[in-house]
Amino acid sequence: MSAVMTEQNIYATQFSEIAGRLPGRGLAWVDRLRKTAVERFLDLGLPTTRLEDWKFTNVAPIRRLTFRPVNQVNASIPEPLRSQLDLFPSPRLVFVDGLLDRKLSGLGFGTTPPFAKERANGTPPNLGGEFLGLHMAGLSDSLADPNQAAILESHLGRYAETSDRAFAAWNTGFFADGACVMISPGTILTHPVHLVFISTGAGEPRATYPRNLILAGERSQVAVAEVFLSASGGVYLTNAVTEIVAGAGATIDYYKMECESGDGFHVATVKATLDRDASLTSHSISFGAALARNDLRVALDGEGSQCTLNGLFVVDGQRLVDNHTEIDHRKPHATSRELYKGVLAGHAQGVFNGAIIVRKDAQKTDALQRSRNLLLSENAQINTKPQLEIRADDVRCAHGATIGQIDRESMFYLKSRGLDERAARQILIRGFAAEIIEGIRVSSIRQQSEIRLGEWFEGKLEAS
Amino acid sequence: MLRIRNLCASIDGKQILRGLNLDVNAGEVHAIMGPNGSGKSTFAQVLAGRDIYGVTADDLSFEGRNLLEMPAELRARNGLFLAFQYPVEIPGVSNLYFLRSAVNAVRAHRGLPELDAVDCLSVARTHAQKLGLDDTMLKRSVNQGFSGGEKKRNEILQMMMLEPRLAILDESDSGLDIDALKIVADGINAMRHPERAIILVTHYQRLLNYIAPDRVHVLIGGSIVRSGTKELALELEQRGYSWLEQPAGVEA
Repeated sequence: MSAVMTEQNIYATQFSEIAGRLPGRGLAWVDRLRKTAVERFLDLGLPTTRLEDWKFTNVAPIRRLTFRPVNQVNASIPEPLRSQLDLFPSPRLVFVDGLLDRKLSGLGFGTTPPFAKERANGTPPNLGGEFLGLHMAGLSDSLADPNQAAILESHLGRYAETSDRAFAAWNTGFFADGACVMISPGTILTHPVHLVFISTGAGEPRATYPRNLILAGERSQVAVAEVFLSASGGVYLTNAVTEIVAGAGATIDYYKMECESGDGFHVATVKATLDRDASLTSHSISFGAALARNDLRVALDGEGSQCTLNGLFVVDGQRLVDNHTEIDHRKPHATSRELYKGVLAGHAQGVFNGAIIVRKDAQKTDALQRSRNLLLSENAQINTKPQLEIRADDVRCAHGATIGQIDRESMFYLKSRGLDERAARQILIRGFAAEIIEGIRVSSIRQQSEIRLGEWFEGKLEAS
Repeated sequence: MLRIRNLCASIDGKQILRGLNLDVNAGEVHAIMGPNGSGKSTFAQVLAGRDIYGVTADDLSFEGRNLLEMPAELRARNGLFLAFQYPVEIPGVSNLYFLRSAVNAVRAHRGLPELDAVDCLSVARTHAQKLGLDDTMLKRSVNQGFSGGEKKRNEILQMMMLEPRLAILDESDSGLDIDALKIVADGINAMRHPERAIILVTHYQRLLNYIAPDRVHVLIGGSIVRSGTKELALELEQRGYSWLEQPAGVEA
C-alpha cells in the first residue's frame, strides 16, 4: 500500500509542477480533461495483477521507477538513426522524446527535408496547412491554433476511456505533444503517413506521453503508420494513446510498429471508432521493449463497418509482450477478422486476450478470431484467451487458438535438403511470420519488419 | 557408392529393418520393392538421416564416408537426396526461396559460389517446364495447396536442382495418373548418369515400365529376401509377394 501511495504522490507532485506549461493550458476543456484524468489516474494507481485485465502482466518494474516528464529535447539524434529515418518518408511527423521535431517533419511527399513536392501538385505548405486533402500537425501546435483547437475539442479524449484505465488516464493528464492527422472527406491519400517516435533514453528514466488523433473524413482513404524507435537504448517509458475516427465509408490502413529499447517500457492504447461502411485494417508489430502492452479497441459503430486486426510479436530473453484487443460490434452487419501470431523464445512471456462484444442490436455480425503461437523454448510462455460476450442471436462468431513448436517433420524435410538446424529454424519461423508480414501494404513497415526479424535471428535483440 | 551391411533400424522398441545388405554402384538404378509394412519407407528415411530411428549397421557408407556419423544436412550436402513419399507443406515460405536456400547450402559445401535469385529462377523455370509445372508454383508456399501429383513433381524438381550423387525416390509414382507418371519417369530418366545412382522405392511395378532398373530387390520383413534383374519385377507383378514371404520368415 505504501508503494502505491508513494507512486501516486510522486506523479501528483509532478503534475502540479508541469501542468502550467502543458499544451492547451488555459483552454477550459483541456484543463478539465486533464484534471479529471489525473484525478482518475491517482485514484486508480497503476494496475496490479489482481485486475483480470492485468493478470499476466506485472507492471511492478514500471512502478518501481520514477519517470520524469520531458520538458525540452537536448539530445541530438545519432547518425545511424537519422539514416534509419529515411526508411520512413514524408508525409511524416517525427517526435524526439515525445516532442515534435519540426525540422525532421513535413507534409510533402519524399524522403529528405524540405521534402520534394510532388510534380504539378505545388509546394507543400508548412505543417498545420493542408496539402492534397491532408492536414497534419503536432498536437501542441494544433491546440495553440484556435481553429484547430475548436475541432480538437469535439474529438480529443472523446473515444479513449479513462475511467478504469490508469495508463490512458495518465497519458490524458500528462500528454505534451503528439500527432494530429486529418484527412478531408473523399481524399485518397497515395502516400502513407508516418508518425515516428524516437526515444533517446539518456540519463534518468523518462516518460513520454504521445497523444495522437487520426480523423479520416467520409469516403477518405489513408494509411497511417506509427513507429516507435529507440536511439540509444536505456530505461524509459512510452505511454501512448491514439484515437482513430473513421467517417462513413472511410478506409484506414493503420500500422503500429514497436521497436523500443530492450530495457524500455511501452504501453499503448489505441481506440478506433468506425462509422457506417468504414473499414479499418490494423497491423500491430512488436519487436522490442522489456515490457510492451498494446491495447487495441475497435468500436464498430456503423452498419456494415469492418475491421481486420493483425498482429505479430517476436519476443525473447526475459521480455513480455501483452496484446489486448477488443472488438465491439455495436451495429448490424459488421465484420471483424483477427489474427495475432506470436514467436516466443528464451524465457519470454506473451499474452493475447481477444475480446469480442456483440451488442443486442448487432445482428448478422460476422466475427472470426485466431491466435497462433510458436514457442521456441521450453521456458517461453504464452497465455492466450478469447473473451466472447454475445448478446445477439443471429451472428457468426468463431475463434481458435494454437500453441505449437517447430514441427519436427518440417525440420527433417529442410535438413534433408542440406539446411542446417539454424537455417531450417529460421525458414520455418519466417514462414510462420510471413502470414502477417506479407499482408503489410506499407513497404517501409514491411521492410522494417523483415529487417527486425533478420536482426532477431542474428541475436542482436537477444536480452543478455 | 553405397555399401550397406547388416543395417538394423527400430522405432519405439519395434524392429523395422533387420540386417539389410545392399551395394549400389555409380551409374546404376536399383528398385526396392515390397509389400506394405515391409520397411521400404523406413529404409529410405534412414538413408536420408531421419533421427527418430535407432540405427545400427556393420557398415553404412556412402562414397566411403560413414553415414552413421553424418546428420541429415551433411548427407544432403554430400550428394544424397530423398524424394519424400509425403512431401511436407511449409506455409509462408515460397517454393523458390526454399529451392534457392537448399541449392546454396549444397553449393556452399562444394565450394561453389551462391546462385543468385535471378539465375535460380531461370534454372527452376527450365526444370519446372520439363515437369509440366506451372511457373506460379515457384511463388507459392512449399507444397501448400499442391495436388498429390504436383507434390511428387516438386520433389523431382528439387532433385534436378540439387543434382545429387545418390537419389532415393520413395514412392514417387504413387498417386499419379498415367500422364503424370510418364512426366515423373522422364524426369528421373533424364537424371540417369554414369556418376549418379538412383534407388527407386516402390510398391508397384508400373513405374519400372518407364524406368528400366539394373537391379531389383525385394524387401520383406525388414531385409532383402531376393535380388534379381528387371524380370524379377515382372514376376512380382504376376505372382505378388506372398510366394517370397515364407523364405523371409525362415531367413530371419
